[in-house]
Amino acid sequence: MIKDIVEGGWSLIAGMWVTIRRIYRPVVTVQYPRKYLEMSPAYRGHIEFAQFPETGSHNCVACGTCMRFCPTNVIKVQGEKTHTHSEKRASLYFIDFSHCSLCGLCVANCPTQTLKFSGEYDLAHYSRWDGVVDLIQRLEESA
Amino acid sequence: MAAWQNLVNFLGPDLTRIVVGLVGVLALVQVNALFLVWLERKVAAHIQLRIGPKEVGPFGILQTIVDGIKLVSKELITPRHVDRKLFMLAPIAVFLPVLVSFVVIPFSERLIIRDMNVGLLLIFAFSTFNVLAVLVGGWASNNKYSLLGAVRAVAQNVAYEIPLLLTVLSVVMWSNSLQMSEIVASQSKVWNVFWMPVAALIYLICATAETNRAPFDIPEAESELVAGFHTEYSGMRFALFFLAEYSNMLIVAAVATTLFFGGWKSFPGLGFLPVPGWIWFFAKTYVLIFVAMWVRWTFPRLRFDQLMNFCWKIMIPVALLHLIVYAGVIKIIN
Repeated sequence: MIKDIVEGGWSLIAGMWVTIRRIYRPVVTVQYPRKYLEMSPAYRGHIEFAQFPETGSHNCVACGTCMRFCPTNVIKVQGEKTHTHSEKRASLYFIDFSHCSLCGLCVANCPTQTLKFSGEYDLAHYSRWDGVVDLIQRLEESA
Repeated sequence: MAAWQNLVNFLGPDLTRIVVGLVGVLALVQVNALFLVWLERKVAAHIQLRIGPKEVGPFGILQTIVDGIKLVSKELITPRHVDRKLFMLAPIAVFLPVLVSFVVIPFSERLIIRDMNVGLLLIFAFSTFNVLAVLVGGWASNNKYSLLGAVRAVAQNVAYEIPLLLTVLSVVMWSNSLQMSEIVASQSKVWNVFWMPVAALIYLICATAETNRAPFDIPEAESELVAGFHTEYSGMRFALFFLAEYSNMLIVAAVATTLFFGGWKSFPGLGFLPVPGWIWFFAKTYVLIFVAMWVRWTFPRLRFDQLMNFCWKIMIPVALLHLIVYAGVIKIIN
């Protein structure tokens, strides 16, 4: 009984010593709208074009594989040829992120590996049309 | 000045003292609650390595005022199947005795509204009202969570009142008076906390239980009972319960300061400083309140049987033994 009280009392003091030291520790939370965190590479935001160092641009050939694989028909891609026998290149690439489930089938099946997940996490919008992302414009802005 | 003279002439010195005192106490209660809610949130935040309120005013000090405005502007919802009269009475009944208790608390040598010779008795008599109001509120709400919270509050407060009063009794035997100023005067040589540390410890534990604060916040256990006895209250009625809780903290800490920590007297060895007594008093009181907050954010909530076992099997026997031993010691000394 006495032993219980002494040991219990000591554990209470130890607990209070732990918390009082916390008061002077630096805070660990990030003040979100004022500061932003860098996301880890495994994070899945909406898709974006990868930039290849050889061409300095994306490598999308507008094959339409992503468009056909997409389970929610989020992707709209159109391409055009620069001259008669050249490869096609994407001239329009839109996604409607409000329907995207981030399944990653487009990224996994892209034959030129030009699609990747972005680190975007600020994804709340005021209107449903704000969820539409123009990937080509996004690539040009980031370059 | 003439208006002041008119007031004194009209009411007479005694009544003036009471009116001015009550206005002062009302102001103190509000400002204290505003400050304590902010302090509680800051202490909690820093213990959990967060910042806490910081947007409204410097260091977020005006946050509680904004919260108060929000609560006042909200609708007072009275659910359909409640006992209307009791439901409306409970928040008032929980808040009024708080005001009465401040009448006899000696903030400094001369700053006391009425130095009654039964001061201590008055405080404990009126703080018991709190239990009744909580029971009325919980019962009138016609809600199982409210009722359970109220039942728990009554069981807990009745149990913890016994060791609380037993320890206070040994202080009273030592100072030979129930008058608050006499109790402070009896500590002019050595504070009671050094002379009877066990009593001080028991008092602080029981006071935490009396004010329903963690780790004894079983009556309003959020994870089990939604909000306990004030589940059905909204707007200013809820705010009154909240105000009463923080004012009760102030009372309990002020009584602890008076009984065990030398009241308005300076800290040992600092008597040469030209600091008025009320600053010493409030410094000690708020240090005690800080300790209560520190305890709240350190320890998890007790289970109900643990709470009752702790009271009936440890606190009451120790308090009784303490009373008997100190009665003998005081008899021998005198």
